Amino acid sequence: MTAVDIALFATVVGSIVLFGGAAALALGWAFRDGQFDNFDQGSKSIFGPDEPVGEPTDAFPGANL
Amino acid sequence: MAVTVAEMSQHDRAKSAAERAAIDASCRGPVLVFASSAVFWLLAGSMLALLASVKLHVPYLFTGSAELTFGRVRMAHLQAVGIGWASLASVAACLWLMCRLSRAELIYPKMLYLAGALWNIGVSLAVVGIILGDGQSVEWLDAPPYAPPFFVAALGIVSAWTVAVFRRRREPHLYVTQWYLLGAVFWFPWIYLVAQFMIFWSPAVGVVQPIVNWWFGHNVLGLWFTPVAVGTAYYLIPKIIGRPVHSYYLSIIGFWSLALFYSWAGMHHLIGGPIPAWLATASTVGSMMMFIPVIAVAINHHMTLLGHFHRLRYSPALRFTVFGAISYTLVSFQGSLMALKSVSETVHFTHYIVAHAHLGAYAFVTMIMFGLFYYMIPRLTGREWASSVLIRIHFWCAAVGITTYFVALSIGGWWQGRMMNNPDVPFANIVAYLLPHWLTRTLAGLMLTIGHVAFAISFVMNLAGWGKQRSGGPTFFVEPEKKT
Repeated sequence: MTAVDIALFATVVGSIVLFGGAAALALGWAFRDGQFDNFDQGSKSIFGPDEPVGEPTDAFPGANL
Repeated sequence: MAVTVAEMSQHDRAKSAAERAAIDASCRGPVLVFASSAVFWLLAGSMLALLASVKLHVPYLFTGSAELTFGRVRMAHLQAVGIGWASLASVAACLWLMCRLSRAELIYPKMLYLAGALWNIGVSLAVVGIILGDGQSVEWLDAPPYAPPFFVAALGIVSAWTVAVFRRRREPHLYVTQWYLLGAVFWFPWIYLVAQFMIFWSPAVGVVQPIVNWWFGHNVLGLWFTPVAVGTAYYLIPKIIGRPVHSYYLSIIGFWSLALFYSWAGMHHLIGGPIPAWLATASTVGSMMMFIPVIAVAINHHMTLLGHFHRLRYSPALRFTVFGAISYTLVSFQGSLMALKSVSETVHFTHYIVAHAHLGAYAFVTMIMFGLFYYMIPRLTGREWASSVLIRIHFWCAAVGITTYFVALSIGGWWQGRMMNNPDVPFANIVAYLLPHWLTRTLAGLMLTIGHVAFAISFVMNLAGWGKQRSGGPTFFVEPEKKT
């Protein structure tokens, strides 16, 4: 096995570990942090007092819609 | 003094609006730099595409110029629209959406100006280098060797800044769009660096090279453009209509199943090639598993919109985004079926693949990016779009153009494949059969280019302050009826 082969092998294995490991870490963090605890609340997190649920932001002022 | 609920509510609204305005202001400069350069490369890429398309049915056009041969012009087009337009627009999306969803201001914007400059230098070197003959014969990685360091540096800054904004978040919940964006800024640098390393810097030997090539080529769409575009749609559709995502649970399932299965799918490009059979089969399985995230996204977008379809008549951002979201379902279903060996043996090496690629890169990704621009730019510049006529021209040219393009090349490509598999059909007959399809492709490309010019004029007018102030409502396709 040449040095190039070893470098390529390390890249492939390292990538698998990095990719899989990062996904596992992210999933673990999300569970610990309670990100998946309340889906209903999560879906509303993009709305706020100035742009509440039920109020289109591409609003049609005065429109009969 | 007692404060009424209505006053409290007004106070909360004003405070929230001020916070959103401050966040938009913090990222205005860098996002507009990336968005403006994206529009420039869209126009440049369109011209290169038109030239390449015309040369298919007028083969003696510019034959005296090596710089304008089909091979070079087509590669330059791919770099201009792939690494130029779509990637720069994706970066603009990542930065703006991450700031808004994290409720955090962008810090040290000057570094992102540097990233924008590096990225544009890289794309310029790639496009001009290819035209001058320095291109490399690796699909999606055709840029000359002196261009990638600029992309890598710029991408590193963009990824770091996206993560930095997320780390400074005031919003505790990680919305599904943020999952997609964080995935994209992690995956793209990773696949780009690994592909550069294994193909150019320390080349793998033999068949491993095309394997890495198509692992990269497919994942550029699946792990860079797709997460950014789907994530953008998950923000825009609920936000525009003012209704939360139908099933948030399903949206999370969709993200994680994409993360799990998409990276398997690239080897279906090499079905029938000299690669281990298990590799192609595993890839076909991965492609089939992609039905899970795609169906999840399709159900969610459709059900979220249910009862609000009439808004497509008025909102340009919604109409472009929904066109893109529907195209995502179509292109993904089609892609999964194309991974079947029985289908692949007909469509491989034909124009059917070109049609499929444009359904993904244009009808899905580009249309959602157009939707984003129509929503985002007025909120950054404080001005509405100056002309609804230009928006109408843009939409109809883009929608009819890409549909015509897809239908013409899909039909032509399918029969091209059937004829190529029949040894009794002379090759010249296949070329003659394809001529009208190529001509239609050029006409469709011309429509798309007209749409892009209309879009670019709108964009420049907005930056120049020609639109009305955003104190009133947005610019619609048609003005809605007044309440009676």
